[in-house]
Amino acid sequence: MESRAYAVELKIPDNEAYTAMRALARLGIPVARVERADLLVIASDESDDMLRERIEHDERLFNPNKHRLERLSDMRPREGEVWVEMLDAPRSAPLRRLVSWRLFDQAGKPLGGEELDAACARLLCNSAIERAIR
Amino acid sequence: MKARVAVLVFPGTNSEVETRDLLVDCGADARIVHWSEAASLAYYDAFVLPGGFAYEDRIRAGAIAAHDAMLDAVIEGSEAGKLVMGICNGAQILLEAGLAPGTGAIRRPTAAFTHNIQGHFICQRVLLRRDAAAERCAIAAALPQDALIPAWAAHGQGRLAASSEHLEEIERGGYVVFRYADVRGATGAHLAPQGSALGAAALTNRRGNVLALMPHPERDAWNFNHLDRREGEDVLAPSGGSALFESFVTALERM
Amino acid sequence: MRDLAVAELDDEGLRARADALGLALRVDELRGIAQRLGRAPSLVELYAFDAQWSEHCSYKSSRALLARLPTSGSDVVLGPSEDAGILHLGEHEGERYGIVIAHESHNHPSQVVPFEGAATGIGGIVRDVLCMGAEVVAVADPLRFGNIDFDRRHQRAVATGVVAGISAYGNAIGVPNLAGDCYFHSDFDDNVLVNVVALGLVKESEIVHSRVPAHGADFVLLLVGKATDASGFGGASFSSVALDAQEAQSNKGAVQVPDPFLKNVLMRASYRVFTLLRERNIEVGFKDLGAGGIMGCSAELCSAGGFGAEVDLDAVNVAVDHLLPEVIAVGETQERLLWALPEELVDEVERIYNEEFSLPQVAQNARAVRIGRATAERRFQLRHRGEIVMDVPIDFLTGTVRDTLAAEAPKPPRTQRERDRACDRSIGDLLHATLAHRDVCSRAPIYRHYDAVVRGRTVIPRGEADAGVLAPIRGSRLAFALSVAGNPRIGRIDPQRAAEHAVYESVRKVVAVGAEPIGLTDCLNYGSPRDARQYGELVAGIDGLARAARGFDLAYVSGNVSLYNAASDGHAIPASPIVACVGRLTDVSQCVTLALKETGSRLYLVGETQRALGGSVLASLLALPDEAVPELDIERAVAEHHFVLSAARAGLLRSAHVLSDGGLLVTLAEMSFGCYAARREPIGIALDGLAGWSSTGSYESLFGEWGGLVVEVAQRDVERFEELASSLESVREIAATIAEPLLAFEDEAWDISELHRIWSQPLEELYP
Repeated sequence: MESRAYAVELKIPDNEAYTAMRALARLGIPVARVERADLLVIASDESDDMLRERIEHDERLFNPNKHRLERLSDMRPREGEVWVEMLDAPRSAPLRRLVSWRLFDQAGKPLGGEELDAACARLLCNSAIERAIR
Repeated sequence: MKARVAVLVFPGTNSEVETRDLLVDCGADARIVHWSEAASLAYYDAFVLPGGFAYEDRIRAGAIAAHDAMLDAVIEGSEAGKLVMGICNGAQILLEAGLAPGTGAIRRPTAAFTHNIQGHFICQRVLLRRDAAAERCAIAAALPQDALIPAWAAHGQGRLAASSEHLEEIERGGYVVFRYADVRGATGAHLAPQGSALGAAALTNRRGNVLALMPHPERDAWNFNHLDRREGEDVLAPSGGSALFESFVTALERM
Repeated sequence: MRDLAVAELDDEGLRARADALGLALRVDELRGIAQRLGRAPSLVELYAFDAQWSEHCSYKSSRALLARLPTSGSDVVLGPSEDAGILHLGEHEGERYGIVIAHESHNHPSQVVPFEGAATGIGGIVRDVLCMGAEVVAVADPLRFGNIDFDRRHQRAVATGVVAGISAYGNAIGVPNLAGDCYFHSDFDDNVLVNVVALGLVKESEIVHSRVPAHGADFVLLLVGKATDASGFGGASFSSVALDAQEAQSNKGAVQVPDPFLKNVLMRASYRVFTLLRERNIEVGFKDLGAGGIMGCSAELCSAGGFGAEVDLDAVNVAVDHLLPEVIAVGETQERLLWALPEELVDEVERIYNEEFSLPQVAQNARAVRIGRATAERRFQLRHRGEIVMDVPIDFLTGTVRDTLAAEAPKPPRTQRERDRACDRSIGDLLHATLAHRDVCSRAPIYRHYDAVVRGRTVIPRGEADAGVLAPIRGSRLAFALSVAGNPRIGRIDPQRAAEHAVYESVRKVVAVGAEPIGLTDCLNYGSPRDARQYGELVAGIDGLARAARGFDLAYVSGNVSLYNAASDGHAIPASPIVACVGRLTDVSQCVTLALKETGSRLYLVGETQRALGGSVLASLLALPDEAVPELDIERAVAEHHFVLSAARAGLLRSAHVLSDGGLLVTLAEMSFGCYAARREPIGIALDGLAGWSSTGSYESLFGEWGGLVVEVAQRDVERFEELASSLESVREIAATIAEPLLAFEDEAWDISELHRIWSQPLEELYP
């Protein structure tokens, strides 16, 4: 069984991402834009097309009027990205739900290692109950 | 001179009025302090963080507010032994700020009140029983032993969670001040409506000057909130959940 | 081309161009605009008229009919002429207090994006109350969902999304959900109904009006709230931002985006401004932005005061660059309000919003900003990039638009045929089926998502009585009750009766808690006014609302009309008039809940049994055809309500519950179930034989839905109660309360805990 990751992103304005950006900036993290997505990590034998269609037709996960669905080519975070998952969520579940945060600086570049770590440790991830995947 | 209690308002707080009103009705000199007035907090003797949705719980309940300037005064005050009570969102903020259970560093939380087991907000009546020795937490000290405090659970992130090691430490160290109870006073994890670990409704810190309480006693705190259980004839008089606030005021007067 | 050469196009060409632009205006309306302006209208002007003359804004299909509704009375402080109506609650410490109330629908958006549609519905109705100068104190949500069987994925997603949206928004702003209801029927499969009601508290001396005051020439128009973006503008055919690859990601559709965090802060900032206004004793105007956006709000705010308006679109705070002027002017970005203020107040009010309450940090470029002024000249002008893009006579824009439409009278009401209703199902079997029916079972799985008690002033939350009760004034025993009603099963059969019934039931629910009804609101949800039959249902509904309100001597102070609730195949929703009723309690300690209180009490039925089963749950369970809807004797109901209130005030009622969906046995069972919420052992009921109190057969008596209520009277109070009741024929003793947790009738006895289990479960699987 293959594990694939899909990002469900808002195509309408994302208030939460904006507030997260302001909060991080107040902490001295040099972030100018934040993108947030709900990640679905699915273990399945289905083809990409079938799986994508299944997600797009599940209104609990996806609404075409406000969401955009993207298949992530890698099973790990992209540059400037951190995935946050609840510690008590079983890693072997067929459907894992994570939150993806992508941080970009004033020039539009993804934030680097130290700054991203700081953002994680200070705000984005509460290590008492969550794990951060970098 | 009477001790002054600040009821803190963060952007998104929504329970400040009834919290302040109950403190006043229980004899405190309580004032609402808004986030633009953070500088004035140094002049207060005690802090109450009321319920609501500071920053709409964005990222995580209480996470952003824990870094607000107002918390600096609360942290400083707490370390000096001032009384600090957080209710619901206020409790979440105290845990994110590391002030409760306080077993880690400041702003390095060791536990959280996180997503309910149901995956959504619940609003229902609960009963709370103080499950610690009276002297363990000054704020709850004046409550009669075995008293059942009526309150409302109204939250989407009210489940205590932490690593199993930390939960053991929380239990061993007597940090759980209130647990969810039934009408006979029995407690147990199964009685927590949102699956809170240890059946915990409230935590204190090492020193006992902090109380982080998830349910709302201030919403079941006057006779008109519970007419069928009213005490005395004055329908506007405090009763029921007010007992905890009376204990808070007693603790304040003893300082 | 930024204007439309109307005069140069023939009808077909004009229609084609209008369609391409996404305009719903008719050809005759377009020509009328061009003629009045004496030139080709600009695109901005066209989109403005399109919004302002839309059904939603202009009420063109219903305005003339709505004039039939009673809107004044001794308890009416402000009728339905502004953003919300106001009823007189009472006096405290020499001040007169009003209850501000508004009632609206958000049906179509909730079908498309259920969470956001429902959330912005709550957002909008809260603003309507806020802008009257009131503290927002409660909301209610009457909902109509489709068939939620396991395989109905879309309908289930809508039903859960709507509840989640109402919960997220109401809870975050800290306004308790005090009342509401929910019906499920396949007729709503593609047309969900999400009606919302909001209440506020205001001192009558501090009401702020939705118009520029008489002395307000040159008052500054101060826009406050969220930065305007491209959300909530137009349909799919219109691209609302200049084409730009980066911007392609932004919202192009009509999704309105809620921000309850911003709203929470906006409300508190506005309360602070109210305090300032009172200190300075200055009269101003304040209005919420809804349909029609900045254009609609500023035009109405100014024209209602007898003024024109000039607005500079470049002054508007925007979240996105390069917005087209019509998007800035007409788009429905949420969380915005508009003040009309004298110059001397503007700096201070701006400071309150922008600095003290730090709006720009709460949401991107949220702020208070000057955008224009009220003018003595009665024109409406918009400027953009230094050019005038709109310049029309203001009254032409906001004035009354009427359509004359054909209405087909609904079929005459069915008369109840005398028929033999042989039924092979036992009473116990039917009781179980009724309790489990989706229109009867416990709604707790829904309303436990809602904060019922934030602000600490709730006296009776949902589930504990037929109406919610709240004591809004600190230090006062004054309280208000709030109920909603509107039975779609009756709407399917008889549109006029459905409207009368909605009034009767909402009024009865308020009476059941011991409150005196003081006013009503209505939301009329119907199909297409272009279909004579569906339009006829609207006409009949308004007539029913008018008749019943007059009979109960009540007025409508706010309301809404939602039309075009029909599927593309023309299948329309059942006639769905939904009514909210507000009641007054002068002494909150006198309110009555529905849970049985004592054993050895007597239960009395107030009301008359009838044979007719039209619209009942039983009729739908047994698929009974052609049932007539029960009659409503308003005069008798008025006398009954008067009696119930007297009994409540005399302290003679231990509990009370209306007879509604499911009928009498359900009513009795629910009174016992109420003990569980009160953490007591359930008290049982022994029902007397029918001969003592019923004029109909057992099925009609036990499951008919003919109105009325059941009240519990303690043994010690029976004599006084019966003396009080002696003038009424329709008060009959029907049962006694017993210690055994059973519902007993003749030789049957059903275990209360088992009945409770059946009643509690059905909605748990959709709302776990």
